[in-house]
Amino acid sequence: MMTAIIKKELLQLRRDPRLVALIVVMPLVLLILFGVALKLEPQNVRMAYFDGDQSFFTNLIKTGLWSDGYFDLYEVESKEMIIEEIRSGRAKAGLYIDKDFSALLTENKQPHITFFVDGTMPSLTTAMKYNSDSATDEGVTNDMYFTDADADNVVIAQDPFIMDTEILFNPDEKETWFFLPGVIGVLIMQIALILTGISVVREREKKTLEQLLVTPMSKTTFVIGKLLPYVVIALLDFYFILAAGWALFDLPQPNSHLLLFILALIFVAVMISLGLLISLIARTQQQAMFIAIFIIVPSILLSGFIFPLEAIPDIVRPISYVIPFTYFVEIIRALLIKHTQFSDLISSFVSLSAFALLFVSTSILKFRQTL
Amino acid sequence: MINASHLIKRFNSFTAVNDVTLNVDKGQIFGLLGPNAAGKTTVIRMLCGILECDGGEIRLNDKTVNKAKTDFGYVAQHFGQYEELSVRENLQFYARMYEVDDEQWLSSLLDRYALSSFKDQRAGTLSGGYKRRLALACALAHEPEILFLDEPTAGIDPLTRKLLWDDFYRLSTEGKTLFVTTHYMEEAQRCHHLAFLSAGQIVAEGSPESIKHALNNASVYSTSIPYLPELREALVKMEGMILVNQFGHELRLVVSPVIDKSDLETAIQTITGKPPSLHLSEPNLEDVFIALTQEQPVKP
Repeated sequence: MMTAIIKKELLQLRRDPRLVALIVVMPLVLLILFGVALKLEPQNVRMAYFDGDQSFFTNLIKTGLWSDGYFDLYEVESKEMIIEEIRSGRAKAGLYIDKDFSALLTENKQPHITFFVDGTMPSLTTAMKYNSDSATDEGVTNDMYFTDADADNVVIAQDPFIMDTEILFNPDEKETWFFLPGVIGVLIMQIALILTGISVVREREKKTLEQLLVTPMSKTTFVIGKLLPYVVIALLDFYFILAAGWALFDLPQPNSHLLLFILALIFVAVMISLGLLISLIARTQQQAMFIAIFIIVPSILLSGFIFPLEAIPDIVRPISYVIPFTYFVEIIRALLIKHTQFSDLISSFVSLSAFALLFVSTSILKFRQTL
Repeated sequence: MINASHLIKRFNSFTAVNDVTLNVDKGQIFGLLGPNAAGKTTVIRMLCGILECDGGEIRLNDKTVNKAKTDFGYVAQHFGQYEELSVRENLQFYARMYEVDDEQWLSSLLDRYALSSFKDQRAGTLSGGYKRRLALACALAHEPEILFLDEPTAGIDPLTRKLLWDDFYRLSTEGKTLFVTTHYMEEAQRCHHLAFLSAGQIVAEGSPESIKHALNNASVYSTSIPYLPELREALVKMEGMILVNQFGHELRLVVSPVIDKSDLETAIQTITGKPPSLHLSEPNLEDVFIALTQEQPVKP
């Protein structure tokens, strides 16, 4: 009897070629993608610097940071601007060198330079701190010792200059600050995709779609009518999870509740409409579930949620930018932790809205009023 | 009221509906009769606009199907209402889809289909007969002029079937046009006009009375004989035999003119050992239906 059940299950599975394709192709695609993409070595991390000294010595330090390809340096006009660049998300790191660097150095007075790190992303922070060693390499410091053969024997400090590391925005490097905002997004993404992912395909399987299609509703009526209730539910859920995050963990408050609401609304709309699109493409509820997973897993791994975007190789990076979750992670961290201004987040908001528009309009186009 | 000409529907290389032309007058109960897989559901779905045609033209109430969506109601073969919703919620939903919100009218519909006492019960928990009544009520919520019913009484007990048909007649006298698919003779008998569909083609059309003559010069003989496998085998092999059909102790034979009464008597006597008392009888709907829709339809 058991063999009969086993055989029946296998036969049923084999009769759903799309499902078989999903089972075989999905893991393969994801494996290759993650094999290529998931490295913990950030590259070309944008670093804003202010060099008040502009000397041979400070050039040595900058070249040291630049040469390994970890940091992509660009100049700004003041120390404050370094912090602003990091707050806006344009830079992830910063370097500040004071104007008396050479003077102090030549007098063996161990000048200090400051290395700023965006603390909203601990894995990147750690990697950046590690890679900043290249600024104090022997190759850099060799030329910085000044000994005078005629002078008395003086004890020369071991390091010609000191690099202080200052972690911005999340000085304690709290992992909960870093992960929780993204976790909220992951939960909403799952809820939304599963809620709407089966909504049409279930009507198809239960044969209620046939009875619905004879009514005089338009495609837009159907799609919007399917979307709206779930948008509201997922939005309420978003705030429920957020409130729990505030109550149970010391999740920081946003700089703007309005912006947070707009973010939640757009993100929920994107995910609900993506779910609906899945439901229109899938022929069975099982297929819909698989497609949802196929979207959720790379979203988590390639969005900068866990691994920094800077660590994702250039060939895979475009995928990160077609993942809506990438923009959500960026904006919610900016709002909750860095308190970034709206003007610095416009492009991310626009990208996220574009996804919502794309998915809703594709759903309307994709929806057929015939069986 | 319903005018369909030269309908064609293909599924990959299989032609499910092949050049079907149908015209149904207002107030008529039109029966599309055919065996399973003849294409009945495909035809009715095309008429309702939920399957695209690969050829042909459909006019409902002199409009294209998409423009006529408020003019017709459709009851699918399978229960297509929402099981999680109550009876009343289902009815309200379908009514609102046509922008009907007259609660009084909706409760009169529930009354009419004896659903009032179940109105707060979830539709999924209804018995088959009541599910069918609910589906019918939902299809009538917007008072359509045309009603498409795909096997409306399949799997329904005779009493409920009779009640539903009483209602169909009432709808018909109210001026509504009913398009019914069926493979029940008893149901077909009740239609005003019939079309026989076989392998995607109309093989006969007319009133239930006139369609009985669709066999043309074929004759029907009946006799009282218990079922004998070897007799059946011998008769089926006879050249010109159209149909051998046993009803309890009654054996009905539909034969083409190449066989006459004595041929049959001889054949039967060879097996049973005694001469049968064969009567020439009127063809009934089932004789015609089976004869016309067998694997190789006989074109008289």
